[in-house]
Amino acid sequence: MRRMAASERRRSELLRGVLDLCLLAVMEDGPAYGYEMTKRLRARGLSIVGEGSIYPLLGRLERDGLVKTYRAASEGGPPRKYYRASSAGRRVLAAGLSEWRAARDAIDSVLAPVEAEVVP
Amino acid sequence: MIEFVEECRREWRRLRVPEPVANEMAADLEADLSEAAAEGVSAEEVLGSSAFDPRSFAARWAAERGVLPQASAPLDRAALRLVARAASWRWLLLAALVGSGLVALLGAALVAFRHGAGRMFVPAFGPHASEPARFWIAQAFGGPQSAPDAKVGVFLLALGLGGLAVSMLLCTPWMTAALASRGAARAPGGRSCR
Repeated sequence: MRRMAASERRRSELLRGVLDLCLLAVMEDGPAYGYEMTKRLRARGLSIVGEGSIYPLLGRLERDGLVKTYRAASEGGPPRKYYRASSAGRRVLAAGLSEWRAARDAIDSVLAPVEAEVVP
Repeated sequence: MIEFVEECRREWRRLRVPEPVANEMAADLEADLSEAAAEGVSAEEVLGSSAFDPRSFAARWAAERGVLPQASAPLDRAALRLVARAASWRWLLLAALVGSGLVALLGAALVAFRHGAGRMFVPAFGPHASEPARFWIAQAFGGPQSAPDAKVGVFLLALGLGGLAVSMLLCTPWMTAALASRGAARAPGGRSCR
């Protein structure tokens, strides 16, 4: 039980550093509203169950000028707030991608020699 | 789900989030949760752990969006900064130094007048210009009978000198550090003060 909590905590901390990049990345497919972005993330294999909601993060991206928003009618539904990356957001995404890849490669080199088995 | 959105509304009202903004956030949240529910997705899958704490979720969302009213007006913040600065110990020490000096001066003046040792140059103008200096001195200080008690003067003088001594003692480490940092700045390889 404690191991599960520690593992969830580590996952949560890892995600916290890159979730903004993930949101900007799914916006590249086209403007989306909040729940639609959750679906796109899930479709790409990232479930944020147990993490914080994406809404405060979307609020921060909007406040920092990294996304532009507009209201439009959704398919067969009420008007929704759509988000798309601004030019500043795209620059942040590009920079963040290269930082992520560099960090990922560095950590992979450190962890690669380790042979460890996950004991359930 | 409706209860969750209503709790969020109440929290935004409590936080004085502007009503149009709160309405917009509530509408989007309700629409998203409704769509998720229609697809068999729980609120927890959409909101994560926030699904169990609507007040924290609402407060965090409003804070991240930057729609919370400012804590205090700019003037209040400036006043707070001024008070904070004034309350800093260096300023207090300076005030103590100046105050002690003034008290000591007042005490010295009282002692001097009482014993007649104080002399004040009184310009000889007016109808009594031809009177001797003693007249003018008596006029200026009102004579020994009306001078304040010397004990008060001595007390104030002692108090002022004592305060000066203590203030100087407490100021010494600060002044030493300030002089040392200035000396380091002027040393070869250090940055010039100019």
